[in-house]
Amino acid sequence: METWAVEAREICKRFPGVQALDHASVAVAPGSCHALMGENGAGKSTLGKILSGIYEPDSGTILLEGRPVRFANPMQASQAGVSIVHQELLFCENMTVGENLCLEDLPNRRGWVDWGEMRRRAKAWLEAIGADVDPDATVGSLPISLQQMVQIAGAIGRGAKVLIFDEPTSSLTQRETETLFDQIRRLTSQGVACIYVSHRMDEIFEICDSVTVLRDGKTVGTRPTEGLTRDELVRMMIGRNIDTASVRAIGTHPDGVLLRVQGLGSPPRFADVSFEVRAGEVVGFAGLVGAGRSEVAQAIFGLDPKATGRVWVGGTEAARRSPASMMRLGLGLVPEDRKRQGLVLGMTARENISLPSLPRLSRAGFVDRERELELARRFFDAMAVKAPHVDAPSAGLSGGNQQKLVMAKWLAADCRVLILDEPTRGVDVGTKSEIHHMIRRLAAEGRAVVVISSELPELLTVSDRILAMRNGRIAGELPADAATEEALLRLMTGVEAAVSA
Amino acid sequence: MRRALSVILGSQQFGLVAVILLLGTILTLFGGSHEDRATGQMVNNFLNPQTLMQVATFASFFAIMAVGMTMVIITTGIDLSVGSTYALSGVLTAMVLSKMYPIVTQPAPGAVWVAMGLCLGIGLAAGLLNGFLITALGVHPFIITLGTMWIFRGVAFVLSNALSILVPTSLTQFAKAPLGFAQGVTPVPVIAMLIVAVAGWLFLTRTVTGRRIFAVGGNLTASQYSGVPIKRILVIVYAVSGLTAGIAAFLAMSYFGSAQSADAQGYELYVIASAVVGGASLAGGKGSAISAMLGALLISLIQQAIRTLKINQEYEWIIIGCAIIIAVVLDRVSARVGSARLTQGRL
Repeated sequence: METWAVEAREICKRFPGVQALDHASVAVAPGSCHALMGENGAGKSTLGKILSGIYEPDSGTILLEGRPVRFANPMQASQAGVSIVHQELLFCENMTVGENLCLEDLPNRRGWVDWGEMRRRAKAWLEAIGADVDPDATVGSLPISLQQMVQIAGAIGRGAKVLIFDEPTSSLTQRETETLFDQIRRLTSQGVACIYVSHRMDEIFEICDSVTVLRDGKTVGTRPTEGLTRDELVRMMIGRNIDTASVRAIGTHPDGVLLRVQGLGSPPRFADVSFEVRAGEVVGFAGLVGAGRSEVAQAIFGLDPKATGRVWVGGTEAARRSPASMMRLGLGLVPEDRKRQGLVLGMTARENISLPSLPRLSRAGFVDRERELELARRFFDAMAVKAPHVDAPSAGLSGGNQQKLVMAKWLAADCRVLILDEPTRGVDVGTKSEIHHMIRRLAAEGRAVVVISSELPELLTVSDRILAMRNGRIAGELPADAATEEALLRLMTGVEAAVSA
Repeated sequence: MRRALSVILGSQQFGLVAVILLLGTILTLFGGSHEDRATGQMVNNFLNPQTLMQVATFASFFAIMAVGMTMVIITTGIDLSVGSTYALSGVLTAMVLSKMYPIVTQPAPGAVWVAMGLCLGIGLAAGLLNGFLITALGVHPFIITLGTMWIFRGVAFVLSNALSILVPTSLTQFAKAPLGFAQGVTPVPVIAMLIVAVAGWLFLTRTVTGRRIFAVGGNLTASQYSGVPIKRILVIVYAVSGLTAGIAAFLAMSYFGSAQSADAQGYELYVIASAVVGGASLAGGKGSAISAMLGALLISLIQQAIRTLKINQEYEWIIIGCAIIIAVVLDRVSARVGSARLTQGRL
């Protein structure tokens, strides 16, 4: 029998109200990259966190090179050779790279920090993985991609034999992702076992040798990625078939401009942005990270006081733009970061849905709670939010359901124009297709919808037209049926010759 | 029946009420009794109308401000200037009254309304000033109200020359009106406290502004993205905090019959303590007006306990300090246990 680098057997973990893991197992060979896949809430991140000592399992065993181990905390795991590269990176952002790398065991002479030794060690660790980072740089000043490299350097420097990557590419650009993948390939070739937690299928097929799929906390199966098809993988994840093709089939009749933007600019981030969206139309915004798409959305919604230019909603010009006045005109923005910008997590689903609509639901300043409940229920049901009831705390919902809640909030506010910024980021495959259908339905009901997305297939699926932004300007427009990923990439990057997409 | 019981046990205020009742029982049992000079009957040292009313009256002055403070704390803010706002409203009002009614003993039925209007108006103005400074300058409320804490008291000090100013006795008659209760029982400040607490509770839980206060405290960015007028909400909570200081100043000035610039020194700490003991979270998004009042009552009760149990007065601060920390830690533990029980019950 082969000795696994790390093996988890029959792991169970319960959180208040949910069985996160139910006899889940996974085994990873040394020098291989193994994917943990599943929808949001399937338990893949929990399993990663148990392997790295962040959580303790309720039952089950972890074997490290065949020997059973128990980790009470991440420190013990890292001493045993298991480290995690975090979704939300754990750093003291105000301290230097060197200090962070040596935080667990700061080199010192009788309590006085030995700065020279610290720098030397940090440098050696960074060089060992070929990362070009200054040990004296403040961690907070580094881009996420380099912060990740620092984490990897620290893990390897401390002698990690198993490295867990938890959604590592969620904030990386394409190029940074490539660099990360090169790093992972290098690590596996040196015998390190990598566990790659993600729901991005392209990445799994590109970087992983094998994949274990989890569903509802249970192991569905483990397969080598070679010979596995996407459809098979999706079926394993959601236990049913989904159709992605038929989304655009619902007929639309573009007429009447609902959103008109003219000469919108906010140097240096974007300038000279003009476009129109008609009722019944979905307009996609493509662009690389930093191209200015979200900034345009925020400026339209009145969140950028320095923005110049004119905006009309349904024929009425927005004189002074503020979220409240844009809302009154019937424009809503579903922001990209739902936890930070979209929801008040301490409030219930009902309170979140009604928040923008409160003035409409009140009499003499008092909230009419009957009407509030009725409104919240209607859009809670319309968006098919999966929660015990409309008064459930929003913090406990999965990412996809939180996203639906933010959309419900703006639908409840009676918006004719909706701007959706990354509507399916961090959302599982099943909910994603549900959201795509809903976007089309919202348009079919006569709304104008703008979708900003970094996933080109998504834009091609839901949009009627796609605008590509590059360096803060609209670089071009393509009708969806004529657009291809390659053509869009060319517009986004400004490369005229064929781009290997 | 079981449902009613679980509602009571699960309610936010249950723990506080239980602690207050427990402490009250202890005081009743171990406080001893004395002979009433007039009737010759034995009277419990704690469980008698006068003592109970005294506890509630002392609590009422900072309980009222704790209702305003709770709203400020829910938005993740703090108002250190309430004690000074109280002194400023009291002193300015007393000075105006002394011009209008030079002889304090002369019956002056209109004085009550003048005093009420002035105190509340000055408190509100001071609160508005705090709110405008905080939103316009974008400086942390701790700093702004730390500044105005000195300024307001300084203004009161300069204007009054630090003298104590007597107010018309008709004010005292109003504040100490027995309203048909037992002799020596003066319920007006306590009734005012109950009205303010209930009004604060209705405001926070039932109005649009109240809901937005929780939203701003829970997630400022998401509230902004939902069209909540953040600055207006912040100005409102500091205005309400100032207003409650004005109400407290009016009641206390009337009750004690005078005002001076050194009044309510250090009161802000009692007020913040009441709000926090009442479960308001400095992290924002959490708090209750009723609980803030109960928090104030508990602190007043602890002060009474020191007197009733004849504990050396010098220990008062130590005991109150410990009580604040214990109350907040217990609240957190019970919240955790409570939520665990709730989720288990649902499954």
